[in-house]
Amino acid sequence: MKTKLILGLLTIALLFPTTSRGQSLPSGQSIADKTYARNEGISMSRKLTMELKDKRGKVRIRETTSLRKYIGDEKRLAIFYITPKSIMGTAFLTYDYPDASIDDDQWLYMPALRKTRRISAANRGDYFLGTDLTYEDIKLETRISRDDYNYETIDKETIDGQETYVLEGIPKNDKIAKELGYSKVKLWVDANMWMLRKAESWDVAGNHLKTTVISDFKKVQDIWTYHKIEVKNHKTNHETIFRISDVDYKTVLNDDVFTKETLVNGL
Amino acid sequence: MLSKYNIFIVMLLLFAGLQAQEKQNTFKEAFKASLVITSDFSYEFKKSDLQKSEIILKPEFIYRLNRNSKFVLKGQLYSDLNDNLETGVPKETTVSGMNKRLFIGDRTNLELREFYFYTKIKNKLRLTIGKQQIVWGETDGLKLLDVVNPQNFREFILDDFEDSRIPLWSLKAEFDIKDIGVQFVWTPDNTYHITQDFEAPFFTKSLFKSPPKSVSTVLNKPLKPKRFIADSDVGIKLSTFTKGWDLSLNYFYFYDDLPVFYNELKVTDTNNPIVTISPKFKRQHLLGGTFNKVIGSSTLRGEIAYIFNQNFTSTSPEAVLGIETSNQFKSAIGIDYIKGENIISAQLFSDIIIDNISPYNRDKFETNTSLKISRDMMNDNLNAEVLWVHNTNHGDGYIKPQVSYWMNTKTQLFLGSSIFYGNESKLFGQFKDRSRISLGMRWGI
Repeated sequence: MKTKLILGLLTIALLFPTTSRGQSLPSGQSIADKTYARNEGISMSRKLTMELKDKRGKVRIRETTSLRKYIGDEKRLAIFYITPKSIMGTAFLTYDYPDASIDDDQWLYMPALRKTRRISAANRGDYFLGTDLTYEDIKLETRISRDDYNYETIDKETIDGQETYVLEGIPKNDKIAKELGYSKVKLWVDANMWMLRKAESWDVAGNHLKTTVISDFKKVQDIWTYHKIEVKNHKTNHETIFRISDVDYKTVLNDDVFTKETLVNGL
Repeated sequence: MLSKYNIFIVMLLLFAGLQAQEKQNTFKEAFKASLVITSDFSYEFKKSDLQKSEIILKPEFIYRLNRNSKFVLKGQLYSDLNDNLETGVPKETTVSGMNKRLFIGDRTNLELREFYFYTKIKNKLRLTIGKQQIVWGETDGLKLLDVVNPQNFREFILDDFEDSRIPLWSLKAEFDIKDIGVQFVWTPDNTYHITQDFEAPFFTKSLFKSPPKSVSTVLNKPLKPKRFIADSDVGIKLSTFTKGWDLSLNYFYFYDDLPVFYNELKVTDTNNPIVTISPKFKRQHLLGGTFNKVIGSSTLRGEIAYIFNQNFTSTSPEAVLGIETSNQFKSAIGIDYIKGENIISAQLFSDIIIDNISPYNRDKFETNTSLKISRDMMNDNLNAEVLWVHNTNHGDGYIKPQVSYWMNTKTQLFLGSSIFYGNESKLFGQFKDRSRISLGMRWGI
């Protein structure tokens, strides 16, 4: 009888290995929730430098000042271009609402026209101003979406000496997959900081699309903060390196910083 | 004339002094300088010659007193190497004393493009005092509410509005009343459109009724407002963002930037007919508004303007001094569709003369359309776009294709063309001999 029970348990374990392994790993959804629960501070200012490198090795650099503030659960983000000098003053503003069913509101100020253009946030899979990250990627930063994917936690791995949970995410339906531009993602989430450390993504046709590596984590004013994101697009062989510096969570940002008037007047 | 504008200098210094009491930056932190150099060489098909050989240096200096206040100075050294667009030294009769350019020979001029002090007072009031551009409206290509600053028509409407718009000495005050943003504008600078001489490539002959060749013409100097306070322009814009709609309501009390061309036929003692044209700037009220809303992947945007007592050159023999007056309603509706790296932008403009008058060289109800298709490629390294503006009443318009390419972080190249078509007595068609191909570069440091 005892032998039969052991054999039975072994059979179940062999037939449903992920279920068994999944029992010792937190669910993907709970990990996603934890990435949102992390302390990001109320306000933040930082310098964000984007290094765009094409397949021939030509590098273009764009320097920005990025400001972010939570007003209640609503996240507001403003990015002001400092270089190249010929497009200095270009500025981008987003209102990211806590209700996922409500599209973000986005504006882009173009100094050459001196006009602020409203941008649809429905195209969240579009690439952000020539970089290899999409508008959705930029919005999430080191969080992982709570609403778009069905996750499975498949493993634990170590990156830079830190333990991470490895998740596979499949968009919940074809519409979401098309919107995001991904048919599958594989994510490595730090098991202590609850921040994304690495991501692989596949396009809607199933081809390997991008590798994203987030690194140089340091505590700034007691908040874990990343300082570098490297993104490689395997289809175009284009790369973007985001470098973050001068991070300040204690900066006082009034609500009127996140308005169309400030986009026009500049910082 | 200079003394009239001392009020701006006094205000600049006064507010700067008040703001200096706040925490100061070190000079290195506070001072930022940049320089953008652009060149544009355009070849005119008809003349088989260069239409313009333009080199522009645009230095910009920002001095930040503290986190709430800054001085901004934007200068410009402009040179048209073959002195074609504005031949010689223009008289600038429509420009105020403090706004004139300094010409160095016929080909080059220096201009103080912008010089203003910006400050936030207790995070409630935002003031911009000095020479600046104030832009209203939602439309591209054609203007409805973008009338605060006049324009130099050196290249008709081909030049970037950023370059052709003439900055004015103004005060802009912005504050909020609950969810409504209030912008108050005061512009005592009596500068108006710079239109071109008869011989200039972009002289807009479609605006003027030409007398028969046997009749001689006398063109008087424009009668321009001069009083600093009484002749200043004032405007207010109320704006809000509610339930996904960006809305604004605009009012502007201003002098039309184009004078009214009163004309009178007289017979001299020797029985010779002579037409005397006396341009005079006239006051107007403008009431308008804008809206935009995102719908799926598209942005719907629109703009309306109602102008009271707009003056029109008339074909009616009963018109007094050749001019009739009517209220005018202008509207524009546009849609921007964005998909990936592609943008398709379409606009429909309507212009209605309300009263029963007989305007010269236009219909009472005019419609213009525009279509812009743009595509970014190679991670925004390369952009290709084409703009098509068409007047459906007269069948004239222009097409402007352009390709731009970032060579590196600092340098961008342009290759484009501007092709006019249609009846040469009409607004766009009159320039069909001015069609051109352009090659340019923009470099910034």
